[in-house]
Amino acid sequence: MAMRSQLYEWIANATFTPDTTSSIFIGGTGNNITKPAETTATQFVVIEQVASTGTTPGNYKALATTGIQLYTQIRINTTDYFLDPDNKPNDGIPGAASPYPRTLTLQPSFTLYPDVYVLPGQVFDILATNRSLSNGNSPQMRCFCKYTLYDGPDALIANKLLELGISVSPANVDWYKRSLISQQSAVVA
Amino acid sequence: MSSYSMKNYVKSQNCKNGSEIMAMRSQIYEWTNLAPSGSTSTLFRRSSDIVVGLTSGTTVSVFVGGTGYNITKPAETTATQFVVIEDVACTPDNGADSDGNNGGYTQIRINTTNYFQNPDVTQQDGIPGLASPYPRGVNNFLKTFDLYPDIYVLPGQVWDVLYTQGTQTLTAAEVDDCVAVFCKYTLYDGPDALIANKLLELGITVNPNNVDWYKRTLIEQQSAATVGGSA
Repeated sequence: MAMRSQLYEWIANATFTPDTTSSIFIGGTGNNITKPAETTATQFVVIEQVASTGTTPGNYKALATTGIQLYTQIRINTTDYFLDPDNKPNDGIPGAASPYPRTLTLQPSFTLYPDVYVLPGQVFDILATNRSLSNGNSPQMRCFCKYTLYDGPDALIANKLLELGISVSPANVDWYKRSLISQQSAVVA
Repeated sequence: MSSYSMKNYVKSQNCKNGSEIMAMRSQIYEWTNLAPSGSTSTLFRRSSDIVVGLTSGTTVSVFVGGTGYNITKPAETTATQFVVIEDVACTPDNGADSDGNNGGYTQIRINTTNYFQNPDVTQQDGIPGLASPYPRGVNNFLKTFDLYPDIYVLPGQVWDVLYTQGTQTLTAAEVDDCVAVFCKYTLYDGPDALIANKLLELGITVNPNNVDWYKRTLIEQQSAATVGGSA
């Protein structure tokens, strides 16, 4: 199981108060995991999608139970991924641009392309920022993250692809494996 | 930079730790007409922000226009940056004063030149929110307009996204009158910006795939040269 599609859903609770930024993994609000998300020396993670509860801007400042203004930021080690054009880190992707769940009246304007790579030994985090007037459970706020975990030999191949300037994806990892096998067959013949 | 040194530079950068490079990054900017009570603009979002009024027909910069969420200085690329604007969208305006319908138009400006013009080369307000709505699907409005080809901001250029309020005048502190502009762009930095410039010179579209393709070409050339040299 050297390449695995993985996901993580975070459901906020009442402790996710207005103007709070919280890690969805270890932030102490909502469901958490036991330790920070990190890759070992033999792992490689590709974050492919991040989404959060969205609404229309006209509802951003609606009173509690309807208004949601939620953002998600990706952090690798200590570096925030999304910056404003003046190079200042911002709150990240608005739920209005990358909604979770997607509905007919709320579809994504944003796709995370190119993907975000977490190299072996790095720590990664997803930060949710609540700019609504309400707490995280009323209305219910959620975040969603989809990533692919490459482990063992596939992580080595992922590193090699990165070095070659080739996008790290399951298809390209398989292509590299096929190339290695073809080369080996040619040598044996 | 010569072809040889560029190859070495690219190769050395590729071997660096990923958190230091992040040489191609998908970026977003969301503008809203929200600011703290008593002021018209803000550099920081707060839950207590309220709607800033905007008269129908008014045009503001979403970066430094002095209305709503702003940044500290005009958006510009340094000598080692290259920006590709891929999508611009805003709250649609269908002539009705209701939630999600009271938006306007967005225009892109590079240095002093507005991107969208009328056929007679006169100025226009740009992309209607009805054609490129934000959020997509709001009040069942889907996207009619795709920003293709993308817009390139070359090293050293200043760029801006201008929002023009549509038929509805926005009333201060009216919750329903919150409008937004969304901009998605890719920032190429360092060696990837050099490659983006090279692709532009070659007439090849600048996108992450083509930048990767160019890197592979450089590495293959270098490998071939090494093999040829040792033979």
